[in-house]
Amino acid sequence: MRRLALPVLFLFSLGAVLLAPFVGMLSLTPADLWASLSGTEGRIFLELRLPRVLLGWITGATLSLCGMVFQALFRNSLASPDMLGVSTGAAFGAVLSIRYGLAFSFLGIFSGLSLSAFLGAMAATAIIYGAGSLSRERRGGSTLLLSGVAMSFLFGSLNMLIQYGAGYVDTFRMMRWSMGGISAVGFSAPLTALPALVLIYFASRLYAPELNLLVCGEEMAQSRGVPVGKLERILFFAVSLAVGLNVAICGPIGFVGLMSPHICRALVGADHRRLVPASLLFGGGFLVLCDTAARTLWAPAEIPVGVLTSCLGSIFFLWLLLTGKR
Amino acid sequence: MKPLLEVKNLGLTLNGQAILRDISFSVEKGEFIGIIGPNGAGKSSLLKCLGRLEDRGSGSVSIDGRDLGGFSAREIARRIAWVHQGSFDDLPFTVREFALLSRYPWKESFAGETGEDRKILSRVFSLTGLDDLADRPLGLLSGGERQKALLAAALAQTTDILFLDEPTSYLDYRHQVETLALVERVNREEGTTIFFITHDANLSLRCARRILALKGGRLFWDGPREDFLSGDLPGKLFDTPFHYFSQTGGGIPYMVPEGLLK
Repeated sequence: MRRLALPVLFLFSLGAVLLAPFVGMLSLTPADLWASLSGTEGRIFLELRLPRVLLGWITGATLSLCGMVFQALFRNSLASPDMLGVSTGAAFGAVLSIRYGLAFSFLGIFSGLSLSAFLGAMAATAIIYGAGSLSRERRGGSTLLLSGVAMSFLFGSLNMLIQYGAGYVDTFRMMRWSMGGISAVGFSAPLTALPALVLIYFASRLYAPELNLLVCGEEMAQSRGVPVGKLERILFFAVSLAVGLNVAICGPIGFVGLMSPHICRALVGADHRRLVPASLLFGGGFLVLCDTAARTLWAPAEIPVGVLTSCLGSIFFLWLLLTGKR
Repeated sequence: MKPLLEVKNLGLTLNGQAILRDISFSVEKGEFIGIIGPNGAGKSSLLKCLGRLEDRGSGSVSIDGRDLGGFSAREIARRIAWVHQGSFDDLPFTVREFALLSRYPWKESFAGETGEDRKILSRVFSLTGLDDLADRPLGLLSGGERQKALLAAALAQTTDILFLDEPTSYLDYRHQVETLALVERVNREEGTTIFFITHDANLSLRCARRILALKGGRLFWDGPREDFLSGDLPGKLFDTPFHYFSQTGGGIPYMVPEGLLK
């Protein structure tokens, strides 16, 4: 069963990416496309749906891997960047940048928006990390989750403060953006989101054995030869960067990072050498499905996909808490 | 010749509280050392300083004459393996997966499971009697089996020094006996140097030939086990009088606090 899991996940992910662009307000068939690749159908497919599906896949995979890394780092399977307020921190950075129009860019890849989101994510991570090492009971316990809740409230209220002071149009933009949504016209958005995924994928692949040991606890990892402090700093930095870059594009999309690694662990086990590809494939395919649902359930209107995932995710979270499957 | 492990003036102060004070001793290869003492005496802290899981100590710890501060985590892990204190019933791995993690300090990144790994694992599983349980998740083992799995994993790390922090405290009598026999065998047959922490001094006296007793963060006593019992040191160490039963066969009396002899 476990041997089949990875190939099945691969087919699931591939299937989602291949089929989702045909679904929507206007159903397309491969025959339509063939008939008019440069016509209206073709343009809907190539310029709207395909980029959006790709952006959804990249985002889902990124969030899923970030959640997986956080769960190992904090040795707590309820940890993920959104649960711990890192996404809210990133959102705060981004909102600041939208409000005050910090339009600059770094090396032409990182816009002011992504940089501010990254800094916001870093700040939130640093605070939680600090809180975790201050309280000597370490990060396994409730201190961590509660400091994450505090973080969410802190940055959430700062976000509201900025929105309150902003004009009508800006407020609406920030509101919509902070609900989290996948939208893309053309391939520039997916291409901008890709570096975050590449970064977190290679980091977690490279450190898969170390992640396995971190799951066993800080002392166990250290005594097996993992330089725990250094590794934690590298991974926190990578996750903050990936979350920041992604939140800058799609806004905070909740609970994917919490749910996906859980489901994958049930499918392939806890070994990160298998969990990394599984989280990548499942997270990507899962968010594509959610986003397809978000744009078709209520057609012609669209539900922001972040609303949908948070809805599903909070039920999942409760179920985890109540059944003790942590 | 340099001693295997040498501790000089080791101290540890955390948040203004002295945990360890001015501890010095040295250990030769192949020794079996029992660390005993009352609760809060600093037994675990001492071991953590020796294995550099705690690096805020003062003084020096060296292995083969080389200061531990200059070792990388990986280099230390090639010399010292641990059985940590705790029950670890929430680890999401099978016995085999978990033992394989101990091969980490000997591997390059990206290297998979090698033939040598497989050979070492099958040897430690047969030594610990875990052959049939190798693919069982740790969470589904009994406390005794899980403790053996932790020991098997430490052995799979193939080090010449083994640190055991309360390896028997969750175990029933049969598993205590089996675990001790196993550790003694490793000490005798492979010449592995053993540091063994336990709150149960009798257990320590059965297997450890040298006793390090800690009290209030200081080295209270360091010497052969026979001498430890001859001067009623246990009474002073634990602040309660003991009665010694000497018909134990092995020549080492069994000590029982007089308050428990009702």
